[in-house]
Amino acid sequence: MAGSTARGDDLARAALVRLVRDEGRRVLATLVRLTGDLQLAEDAVQDATVRALETWSRDGVPEEPRAWLTLTARRRAIDLIRREAARDGKEAGTVVPPEPSTPEPPEVLRDDLLRLVFTCCHPSLAVETQVALALRTLCGLSTAEVARALLLPEATMNKRLTRAKQKIARAAIPYRVPEDHELPDRLRGVVATVYLLFNEGYAATAGDDPLRPALVDEAVRLTRLLRELMPGEPSVLGLLALELLQDSRRDARYARDGRPVLLADQDRGLWRHDLVEEGVVLVGEGLRRSPGRPDPYVVQAAIAACHALAPSYPDTDWSAVLSWYDVLLTVQDTAVVRLNRAVAVGEQQGPGAGLAEVDAVTGLEEYALWHAARAELLARLARTDEARAAYAAALALPQNAAQHAHLRQRLRAVDGINPPGPAPGS
Amino acid sequence: MPSYIALIYNADVDWSAAEHSETMAEYGEFGRAAAAVIRGGAALYPTSTATTVRVHGGKGGDVVTTDGPYAETKEALTGFYLFECADLDEAVATAARIPGARDGAIEVRPVIPPMQR
Repeated sequence: MAGSTARGDDLARAALVRLVRDEGRRVLATLVRLTGDLQLAEDAVQDATVRALETWSRDGVPEEPRAWLTLTARRRAIDLIRREAARDGKEAGTVVPPEPSTPEPPEVLRDDLLRLVFTCCHPSLAVETQVALALRTLCGLSTAEVARALLLPEATMNKRLTRAKQKIARAAIPYRVPEDHELPDRLRGVVATVYLLFNEGYAATAGDDPLRPALVDEAVRLTRLLRELMPGEPSVLGLLALELLQDSRRDARYARDGRPVLLADQDRGLWRHDLVEEGVVLVGEGLRRSPGRPDPYVVQAAIAACHALAPSYPDTDWSAVLSWYDVLLTVQDTAVVRLNRAVAVGEQQGPGAGLAEVDAVTGLEEYALWHAARAELLARLARTDEARAAYAAALALPQNAAQHAHLRQRLRAVDGINPPGPAPGS
Repeated sequence: MPSYIALIYNADVDWSAAEHSETMAEYGEFGRAAAAVIRGGAALYPTSTATTVRVHGGKGGDVVTTDGPYAETKEALTGFYLFECADLDEAVATAARIPGARDGAIEVRPVIPPMQR
């Protein structure tokens, strides 16, 4: 009995932490507007959230948690400004506007957050800095949590975040929503940063843990926030759809021993059908909202939807997949897209045709998955020596530990008496 | 309003030579177009005219001069502007209009403001 109460307490505590973090990031955005100083705003909100956790777990959550946090953080900010001014023996440089007599309308609060999104994802900041800042200020993670999430020592992360905030303040990186003519470019940058964050969690490029669920969850949460801030923006709809469709396979992507399970071999009963459904609806909305020029994220999500809706791997509608890849090439002609298309050709028209397509893709000689795709097709064609060489080439390139283990196993299968087995799609 | 210096890096040539008069005219045009934010600036003679100065042995020590620029690079510092802009976006947009941005690069750096009091 005591155990279940303790568990109930844990859940209540987790819900409270979640609430404080979610509200905290919105309050942070408002404080940045009020003080014009990201570091100061962060310190003030940090203090307010600590107090909220103390007070609310004792007295219960107030009726207007955000208003409570905003008021507490605002007073703390004024306090910090005064203290600093007194220490330097001069007048305060930053002035916090007086408390408004009526609560600020929701549009103002929404725009506060949107401005902060564009500041954190400003093109004058390095992409890895943008990712760290997004986790810290937009997802509300602590510096230690950001460091853990991005596999860096806390001191390194602290230095990176401090430098970033210093650059924002000193170089006067603006805190505003870009004008209409620059918005498409800037939005592309924001979406790319969030997708990078998602991928860092979904398919880590290095490290022992190929899947970092916490990072995936933060990326999805952040994308949902973007959708709330910019409803109807095709790239945001597409990104959210793509993330949900990919994440729907989370429980099926890795075996118990941590080895990745190929799409062909996954237990589709483990897929999250609620996420698939939501993703497919979003793809439809994204397509409707970009009738002229298809958005690359929406199209990638459409490809993911083809896989998600197939009852089994052999029953995948490969001609639909190929058509979507052809559409994708018209808006995003990259070597990786060509490689993925070539693999789909292999499924639809056989390994010989697939290999010809893969070999025609140039510029991926340093990319493990290009060699792995070649190896797989060569093995299916029973060209064992070439397959072996291709697996070896793939294994020599950077990749995460799980992928490496998977390729070693495939290589062993080629070396064995049996042909590499059951060829996906056969 | 924050100030920024825009350091222009491109071919280390003599911009005062007649062959570059067209480029110089473009700079004149830029100067007029961006007059609202330009607070200063100049074009520089080539690095072959540069003298690099160091003092060895602390304050009052030996003055050691070397012939040439601080660093020998393919693209050299050939000029600069001082801008006063609303924010980095305006500074970057202005820097992008400097003729040298097309065949070289502009480094935009915020300037430490003079002491408030």
